[in-house]
Amino acid sequence: MSAAPDKIVVTARGIISSLGIGHEAHIAAIRAEESGLRYPEILSTRHAREFVLGEVRMDNPGLMAHLGIPPNAPGYTRTTLLSMCAMQDLLKEVPLEVLRNGNLALINANTVGGMSVVENMYLSFLEEHTPEELCQWLDTLDCAESTEHIARFFGLKPAMATISTACSSSANSMIVGARMLRHGLADFVIAGGGDALSRFTLNGFNSLKNLDRDPCKPFDEHRNGLNLGEGAGYVLLERESSALERGARILAVLSGFSNHNDAYHPTAPSPDGSGALRTMKGALEHAGLAASEIDYINAHGTATLNNDLAEGKAIQDLWEGRPPAFSSTKAFTGHTLAAAGVVEAILSIGAMHSGWILPNLNNSSPMQELSIRATIQGSSGNLKNVMSNSFGFGGNNVSLIFSKL
Amino acid sequence: MRQELFIQSAVAISPQLSFDRNNFLKPAVYQQNGKLFAVDIEYRNYISPVAIRRMSRIMQMTISTAMEALKVAGISSPDAIITGTGRGGVTDMEHFVKDMIRLDEGPMNPTQFIQSTYNSPNGWIAMQSTSTGYNQTYVHRGSSFELALLDAQMMMAETGEPLHILAGCFDELTEEYYFIRGKRDYWKKPAIPTNELYQHGDTPGTIAGEGTAFFVLSNRPGNAVAKIVDLRILYNAKEQNLHALIKNTLDEAGLAPEAISLVLIGDNGDSRQRAYYQDLTTLFPEDVLGRFKHLSGEFDTAMGFAVWLAEHIIRTGIVPEECQNNRKTESDIRHILILNHYILGTASILLMSRS
Repeated sequence: MSAAPDKIVVTARGIISSLGIGHEAHIAAIRAEESGLRYPEILSTRHAREFVLGEVRMDNPGLMAHLGIPPNAPGYTRTTLLSMCAMQDLLKEVPLEVLRNGNLALINANTVGGMSVVENMYLSFLEEHTPEELCQWLDTLDCAESTEHIARFFGLKPAMATISTACSSSANSMIVGARMLRHGLADFVIAGGGDALSRFTLNGFNSLKNLDRDPCKPFDEHRNGLNLGEGAGYVLLERESSALERGARILAVLSGFSNHNDAYHPTAPSPDGSGALRTMKGALEHAGLAASEIDYINAHGTATLNNDLAEGKAIQDLWEGRPPAFSSTKAFTGHTLAAAGVVEAILSIGAMHSGWILPNLNNSSPMQELSIRATIQGSSGNLKNVMSNSFGFGGNNVSLIFSKL
Repeated sequence: MRQELFIQSAVAISPQLSFDRNNFLKPAVYQQNGKLFAVDIEYRNYISPVAIRRMSRIMQMTISTAMEALKVAGISSPDAIITGTGRGGVTDMEHFVKDMIRLDEGPMNPTQFIQSTYNSPNGWIAMQSTSTGYNQTYVHRGSSFELALLDAQMMMAETGEPLHILAGCFDELTEEYYFIRGKRDYWKKPAIPTNELYQHGDTPGTIAGEGTAFFVLSNRPGNAVAKIVDLRILYNAKEQNLHALIKNTLDEAGLAPEAISLVLIGDNGDSRQRAYYQDLTTLFPEDVLGRFKHLSGEFDTAMGFAVWLAEHIIRTGIVPEECQNNRKTESDIRHILILNHYILGTASILLMSRS
């Protein structure tokens, strides 16, 4: 993918996770080293006292009230509500009119559509007579449901796409969005994604035996799996010329990106880290940056045995044993799956703005296989270029690079 | 987007005998109960015995279609793999959610969870073809396959280098899915024989289908007999002027309406959605209109079957009588326009020309 003269820039962002709503709340929580992980109080599951999760601290009626939706309005799944809350937060940084009047694309992502609601009524869908109030949820399992809901709710008529590539889904939204801008298929792109916690996903990951019951320990010798989280995030992407023309504040340049497949295993990364290495190299090449110009890496860092070893090796190899500061923020938010890419992109941009390197929690023993170590203490730093990694099932690997203008 | 995609291979598993195209419509396959399930092939020819044992049928269908498309094109490892699916691994999802409820969240089978992940087939195809390039999965209802093609168009426009992209789609029909979406009035009630779909065009509902279709697309002509020239995706089809968009598509291609040999329309026999195709005869003569959903059934990525069929028609130079009742003359097939829509309000326009 050749570089185009007009840069792709980020001019607004919206985010919700277990750390709260808005980028300021997120950066403040991380600076205070306050994790969002806890035993779930909203997700109704038999495993509620077994696994800590990154659960958003508002139930569905609470989210609806926050959005000003009448309490009895049907068809709003938790995935949709989280996504709309993130979108509403984004609108603090851009007038809705700009999006309504512009040539807009909405590139959304999630992994299981409205499963968080549908799993509670699925058996009654299979009955001969499903109560009418449940029938209104029959189409909400589709991944595109929340995308179309966002557009409708905010009175937008964008070109739309929904992406599902597991844990790298919303990172891919940003790649596709940036490319649509370059091709002139849109002048404004809202890119991101959202996922709600569900019993389906919790039991799925539990069946894979890669969940830690306690807060996860990314890049630690004694790491023991991931914690699931939920959340949503969106960024507004546009061409630099468009941002300058309308006098918008440019938050960051999306200076490089790369998507490569591991082609190794359905759920595990190539153990030598070659997949992660190829992807990070690809993003550097696309950005026209040397590895030494990266000041901070927000790693995928799920705290599973496989991921952290493969990703750690790749970082060690690419930077020849002397990497920049790197950390995983998954011990703050949990793994927000489809939302992880955009949530961590927004955190990375926040780190760049606040000049604060985000710490990696729960890391007391360095990994024996590695000579490098994650940044365990927050500290100030002049961050000009930051990399954000998202690696998913099916070997779907994405690296993004954000730069100061 | 206007960007040429040369079709190096086209392979489909569908309710018809399409996988071996020599047998296509010999005879046409119809069902009495309004459900068109795909005709299975010998999946063991494409997937190892160890892997296939735990693999769901849609995974087997998808991987086999993709691998055959690569084989026909003579490409061992594509530069990119881009797919679209409306519903992904439905059977695996259904099993997993019901087991979870039945076992009260007890120990579960991870295979079904993994295979219900929408990009699971992409990962397998990448592994089997050692393709470490770009890999993407779109899950936007009736636009899923169209978005995969749009992405392929963007990739082609991003490079002058020769590129081979494997683009495809997959969706499966299950009894449970049919039953559940029936509550949303998706289907004809009572169910009708599928060959009578268009005799029931004055009532709501349609017939259900499924299938997979994969294409190796290139920015070089190679051995292609057909190319995709233009693709338009309509997200609010009811509010958009389809006629104006069709005219614009033809204008930009420098084609008069008379140059179109066949207009393949996605009419699904549902009286509520007929509006999409109304008054097309003001643009095109009646005898160039053809239909395909009585052969494929309706599903999110039925467009994949339509693109396969259009390529097949250009390849053979024959419009099957099953697609078109009133064809008066066989003419040189140079340009085919596909107009499709899906139940939930999206539509698309695709122009294909002889390469």
